[in-house]
Amino acid sequence: MAAPGGEPALEARGLVRRFGATTALDGLGLAVRPGELYGLVGPDGAGKTTAIRALAGLIDLDGGEARVLGLDPIREGRAVRERLGLMPQQFSLYRDLSVMENLRFFGRVYCLPRAAFRERSERLLQLTRLAPFADRRADALSGGMYKKLALACALLHRPEVLILDEPTNGVDPVSRRELWALLHEFVHGGMAVLISTPYMDEAERCDRVGLAHRGRLLDEGAPLELLARSGAATFEELFVARIREAG
Amino acid sequence: MSGAPGGLRTALVQLLAVVRKEIRQTVRDRRVMFLLVVAPLLQTVIFGFAIDFQVDRIPVAVADLDRTEASREHARRLLADGTLRRAADATSAEEADGMLDRNRAAAAVIFPPRFGADLDAGRTARVQVLVDGTDPNQATVAASAVSRYFGEVGQALARERAAAAGRPLPGTIRVTPRIAYNPSLRSAPFMVPGVLVMVLLIITTIVTAMGLSREREMGTLEQVMVTPIRPLVLLLGKLLPFAAIGLFDVLLVLSAGGWIFDLPFRGPLAVLGVATLLYLLVTLSLGLLISTVSRTQQQSFLAGFLVLQPALLLSGVATPIRAMPDWLQAVTLLNPVRWFIEVVRANLLRGADFADLWPRLLILLVLGLALLSAATMRFRKRLQ
Ligand SMILES: Nc1ncnc2c1ncn2[C@@H]1O[C@H](COP(=O)(O)OP(=O)(O)OP(=O)(O)O)[C@@H](O)[C@H]1O
Ligand SMILES: [Mg+2]
Repeated sequence: MAAPGGEPALEARGLVRRFGATTALDGLGLAVRPGELYGLVGPDGAGKTTAIRALAGLIDLDGGEARVLGLDPIREGRAVRERLGLMPQQFSLYRDLSVMENLRFFGRVYCLPRAAFRERSERLLQLTRLAPFADRRADALSGGMYKKLALACALLHRPEVLILDEPTNGVDPVSRRELWALLHEFVHGGMAVLISTPYMDEAERCDRVGLAHRGRLLDEGAPLELLARSGAATFEELFVARIREAG
Repeated sequence: MSGAPGGLRTALVQLLAVVRKEIRQTVRDRRVMFLLVVAPLLQTVIFGFAIDFQVDRIPVAVADLDRTEASREHARRLLADGTLRRAADATSAEEADGMLDRNRAAAAVIFPPRFGADLDAGRTARVQVLVDGTDPNQATVAASAVSRYFGEVGQALARERAAAAGRPLPGTIRVTPRIAYNPSLRSAPFMVPGVLVMVLLIITTIVTAMGLSREREMGTLEQVMVTPIRPLVLLLGKLLPFAAIGLFDVLLVLSAGGWIFDLPFRGPLAVLGVATLLYLLVTLSLGLLISTVSRTQQQSFLAGFLVLQPALLLSGVATPIRAMPDWLQAVTLLNPVRWFIEVVRANLLRGADFADLWPRLLILLVLGLALLSAATMRFRKRLQ
């Protein structure tokens, strides 16, 4: 995979965020370029969600800088949100609304013209193979189907930057493969994608990965390069070694 | 796209999207629909009938230990006007006392032996009255009915004696209270506005608070906040449907009050309309404020009741403010519920118009705006 060049679409520099006595982010930094799929890999509590919230302008930072397409996600929030898609880690759609009603709500909130909405929603429903379930309530979907709907909602407005927080968590292997295939398709369309995951084995599906631990990156690079550099056979092995080094 | 007219159009499309979604969710939720539509009707009927401040036909036990013409006659005349009702006869003071204990009577009147003889002989005759003080309102009415009756008897006797002795008649004072606006002292016309105030407060505040904490609890707020919608548009979209339901509830309660309880509509209804809108500003903002201090729907519900209870108790809806200690009376000046109930009662029962009521409406507006700005400020902060 050719490393795409150009300015980063998504950039975090030395992010610091504390919650009381816990330091959730302790200097984390990363950059994602257009057409790149970046994997933020790390165990529970590593600070993945906090970093993503900071990038999306949902929380304040105690230190460091977040940039989306060169804009400040808090001060220039509205401009950022027109061009950013986010899929939160937990359930975040209206459970008592159907698949189609959820899509329609977000379509309206993004002010999509009727024709554009119809065309895009049809295409997304097809891509995610949710079309037969358009009238099903969101809370009656399986884990994998729900994640695909959330992805569809985040993609309706054709964002240039897409952030997904643990999209494959609680999803069966078949749906997981499907989701990754979808993501690769979008990336090849030039989108910058940041994805967080606790699964080490998913690291190799990314263009680049950052190993997150205790609010910092322990290592970063193209997956195969990282393995080759460290001499580890798997990412799990590599991760354990890095954590031991970090103390 | 970001030009003013385009921005306004965008905001309108988004507002409509939120309103439609909110209505769809509300209609789909049976419990909420019940709370919004059936509960106000039930409350009007229940409160109208059950909270009866009018006290009459108080059950009385009579122990006539004298058994003379005089004692029988006074017992009969004491009970004649219907305030008191003969519920039981006792053969001793102890038995009458026991009837109070067993709730068979709320008061006991005991004519001791020699009552008639004392009267005939011109000595002071004694009548003993026992009153159950559990219900102070009823106790007061019973005690005053008895003392009023015997007071009149005493005066009549004094005049008779004076006349018989050839002395000049003592002057007397007669008090004739005239009760304005609600001459028959029916409590329903007084209570229906109270129900209106309570229903609106409970429904709009709690439903708003819970609706917003639901978005937080279910994670949907996070998803909506990464769309370009402005927080204010989101808030308005969530509040408008409930404001509409609140107005609908007002019509519902007033119609029920008019049909079932002959609620008079003496004043201009425009006053009521304006007051209701101002009151909704207060209750919706309060709901919003409550949602910003709660994490879950359950917390919102509890916090709602914690706020609403004192607000209702200190509003004069059920207990008169004049009966409160001075410092509490001062507190009620800051209570929007108080101003709204005063406006509603004055408007409906007394026919008061804008010229009468504008200061109260102004206070409501100020309190509403203060609550709204506090709530939106906190809401913006809590999004972080
Ligand atoms: N709102 C908050 N209040 C208090 N502590 C928080 C808050 N958000 C995160 N934390 C803490 O910050 C640390 C990092 O949390 P974060 O959710 O970013 O981790 P994560 O990598 O997303 O983990 P997970 O795999 O569990 O989602 C954790 O110790 C967490 O408890
Ligand atoms: Mg997380």
